[in-house]
Amino acid sequence: MKNKIKAKGVSVFYGEKQALFDVDLNVAEKQVTALIGPSGCGKSTFLRCLNRMNDVIDICKVSGVIEIDGENIYDKSVDVVQLRERVGMVFQKPNPFPKSIYENVSYGPDIHGIAKDKNHMDEIVENSLKQAALWDEVKDRLDEPGTGLSGGQQQRLCIARAISINPEVILMDEPCSALDPIATAKIETLIDELKSLYTIAIVTHSMSQAARVSQYTGFFHLGKLIEFNTTDKLFKNPDNKMTQDYITGRFG
Amino acid sequence: MNSILLATLVLFAISSFYFGRSKIKKVALVRSIEPKALPKFYGYYQALWCSIPAFLIISFWTFFEPIILKNLIESRIQSMSLNELSKDELNLIYSQIVSFSQGTFTGQISNGIKSGVETYQSLLSVSQGAKIVLFFCAIIIASLFSFNQINKNVHARDSVEKIFTIILFLSSAAAILTTIGIIVSLLFETIQFFTKINPLDFFFGLNWSPQKAFMSDPANMTAQEAKDLREAFGAVPLFAGTAFIAFIAMCVAVPIGLYSGIYLAEYASNKQRKWGKPIIEILAGVPTVVYGFFAALTVGPFFRIIGENLGINVSSESALAAGLVMGVMIIPFVSSLSDDVINAVPQSLREGSYALGATKSETIKKVVFPAALPGIVGSILLAVSRAIGETMIVVMAAGLAANLTINPLEATTTITTQIVMILVGDQEFTSAKTQAAFALGLTLFVLTLILNFIALRIVNKYREKYD
Ligand SMILES: Nc1ncnc2c1ncn2[C@@H]1O[C@H](COP(=O)(O)OP(=O)(O)OP(=O)(O)O)[C@@H](O)[C@H]1O
Ligand SMILES: [Mg+2]
Repeated sequence: MKNKIKAKGVSVFYGEKQALFDVDLNVAEKQVTALIGPSGCGKSTFLRCLNRMNDVIDICKVSGVIEIDGENIYDKSVDVVQLRERVGMVFQKPNPFPKSIYENVSYGPDIHGIAKDKNHMDEIVENSLKQAALWDEVKDRLDEPGTGLSGGQQQRLCIARAISINPEVILMDEPCSALDPIATAKIETLIDELKSLYTIAIVTHSMSQAARVSQYTGFFHLGKLIEFNTTDKLFKNPDNKMTQDYITGRFG
Repeated sequence: MNSILLATLVLFAISSFYFGRSKIKKVALVRSIEPKALPKFYGYYQALWCSIPAFLIISFWTFFEPIILKNLIESRIQSMSLNELSKDELNLIYSQIVSFSQGTFTGQISNGIKSGVETYQSLLSVSQGAKIVLFFCAIIIASLFSFNQINKNVHARDSVEKIFTIILFLSSAAAILTTIGIIVSLLFETIQFFTKINPLDFFFGLNWSPQKAFMSDPANMTAQEAKDLREAFGAVPLFAGTAFIAFIAMCVAVPIGLYSGIYLAEYASNKQRKWGKPIIEILAGVPTVVYGFFAALTVGPFFRIIGENLGINVSSESALAAGLVMGVMIIPFVSSLSDDVINAVPQSLREGSYALGATKSETIKKVVFPAALPGIVGSILLAVSRAIGETMIVVMAAGLAANLTINPLEATTTITTQIVMILVGDQEFTSAKTQAAFALGLTLFVLTLILNFIALRIVNKYREKYD
C-alpha cells in the first residue's frame, strides 16, 4: 500500500502551549484513515497541519516534516494556495457560503479557473453534487441558498464543494457530529464510495464510525500518537494498553 | 421652600433606611422569628414609605397651587369689577398681583390690585402652611404604618420590588410620552401650516423664499400677495440641497469608512485594531460645531483659492466643502459599524474558503463581503440618516441661498439650515414662516425615521442569521 502523506516528528505549539508531540503518521493512498482520541488530544490540530490551515492562526507554530507525494508541504517553496487545491477539507459544522447551492460548488473551480466555459462549469457542479450524493435532492433548486438546506444536506454540499476542485486528499473533521443518525449513515456510505477516488483522513469521536468507514486508525492521547494500526487490528486486538482502555470505554 | 422640604425628605428617607433595617433585626431577635427578606429590604421599605407619600404631596402642591390660586383670585377680581373683564385683562391683573407680591413689580398699582395682593398673600400663606402640615403628617403616618408592617414581618422584598418596577415603568413612560408629545406638537403646527399653504406647493414648489411671505388677512389678500405666498414655500430646493450634500458626504464616507472597516476587521493586527478603532472613533466625538468652522474657515476658502487659480468660480460657501467635511464626520459610523458586521461573519466561512485554496483577498471579496453586505447596507443607511439630519456643518458652511443646483461649487442650503434660519431671532409664533419650520422638521423627522427603521430591520435580520 502506497503512502500518500507521511508525517514525521510533527510538533505543534499554540503560543507556549504544546498541542502535538512528535507525531509520526502515514496516510495511505485511496484509503480512509481515522483519527480518534479524547477531546482536546490534538486530532483537529494534526488534521489541520495537513493542509496548513493552522497558518491562519497567528500563534500556531508547526515543526517537523509532512510530505505529500514526497514533497514537504512546509517547505518555503510550497504555495499554500496550490497545496489547499490538492488537499480539501470538510469541517465539523457544515459551513456553506451564504450563496446559492450552485455558487457554493462553483466557487472553488471559479477561483482556480478550472472551468473552461459555462457548460463545463455546469458539468463540474453536477458531477460534484452527484459524487456527494446530493444531486437528486437539489437538482431542481440550484438557485436557492445553500444555507436553506438541512444539516445533512449542507454537509454533503460542503463535501461537494471540497471535491469540486478535484483534490487528491480530503480531510474531514468530525463531519457527522452535527448530524442525526440517518444523515450520518448517508455520509458514511458516501465516504466509502469516495475512497476509490480520494485519499481520506477523518477525525471522529465515534468509535463505531471509525470502525465502519476506515482502514487505518490512529489513536491520540494528550497530543501524542499512542497507536497507529489497521482499523481491524486496533479495534480487535490493540497493541497498547491505553488504546484498549479507550476503545472499551474505560476512559475518555 | 420646596428645596428645603425635599432636603428634609432625603434626610428622613436615609435615616428611615437604617431605622427599618435595624428594626427588623430587633424584631427578629426579640420574637425569634425569621425575617421574610434580607434586612436591607426592610430598610428600603421603610425609606420608600417615608418618602413617597410626602413627595407626592409636594408634587401635587407645586402643580396645582398656582392653578387654584389663580382661579380663586380671578373670580374674586371678577366679582369686584363692575364690567365684564376679558381673559387677557384678567391674566394681566393676575400677573401684576403675583409679581408685586414677589417684589418684582416696579410700577404704580391701583387700589384694586392692592387688595388683590393682600388676598393673594393670605391665600398663599394658608396654602403653604397646609402644605407643610400635610407634608409632615404624611411622613409621620406613612412611617408609623410601615413601622407597624415591619413589626408584623411583612414581605418587604415583594413590595420594594414592586415599587422599583413602577418607578422604572414611569421613567420609560415619561420618555415615550415626551416623544409622542414632540411628534404631536410638530404635527399640530404642521397642520396649521398646511391650512395656509397648500401641501402640494410645499412639497413640489421650486422656490424657497419665506422672507417674501407677509401674511395679511387671508380674507382680503390681493392677488399678488396670494401668489407670493404660494411661491414662497416651495421646499424642493431644500430637499435637493439636503440630498445633494448627503450624497457628497456619502461619497467620502462610504469608500473610506468601508475600506478602513475591512482593514480593521480582516488585516489589522490585534495591536493595530486596539489603537486604530478608538482613534477613528474620535472623529465621531468631535463636536459638530468644530467641524462646522473647520469647513467654513479652512476647507471652503481653500477650495475658493484653488478655484481662483484654476479660473473657476467657487463660492466660499459651497456644497462641496460642507459635504466633504460632513463625510469625514461620518467615516467612523460607517467604519466601525462595518467592522462590527464583518467581524460577525463566522470564522468558519473564512476557513471554508481558505480550505478551497482561496487567497485572503478572494475570500474577503467573494465570501466575507457578500455575507456582510446586508449589515453594511444597514450601516450606510444609518449614516445617511445622520447626514441628512446634520445641522451645524451645513449652517456654517453650505450657505443660505436656496439654489436649485447640482453644481457642488455653488452655495446650497438644506432643510436643517433653513429651520435654523427661520427660528433664530424674534418670531411670530403664528406666522406661516415659523410654522414652515415645523413642517420642515416633521418632514425631516419622517425621513430619518423611515431610514432608521429600514436600516435597523436590515441589520437585525442579518444578526439573527448568524446568531
Ligand atoms: N486556536 C487555538 N489556540 C490555542 N490553543 C488551541 C487552539 N486550538 C486548539 N488548541 C489547543 O490544542 C489542543 C488540541 O486541540 P484540538 O482542537 O486539536 O483537539 P481535538 O482532539 O480536536 O479535540 P475535540 O475532539 O474536542 O475536537 C487543545 O488543548 C486545545 O486547547
Ligand atoms: Mg476537534
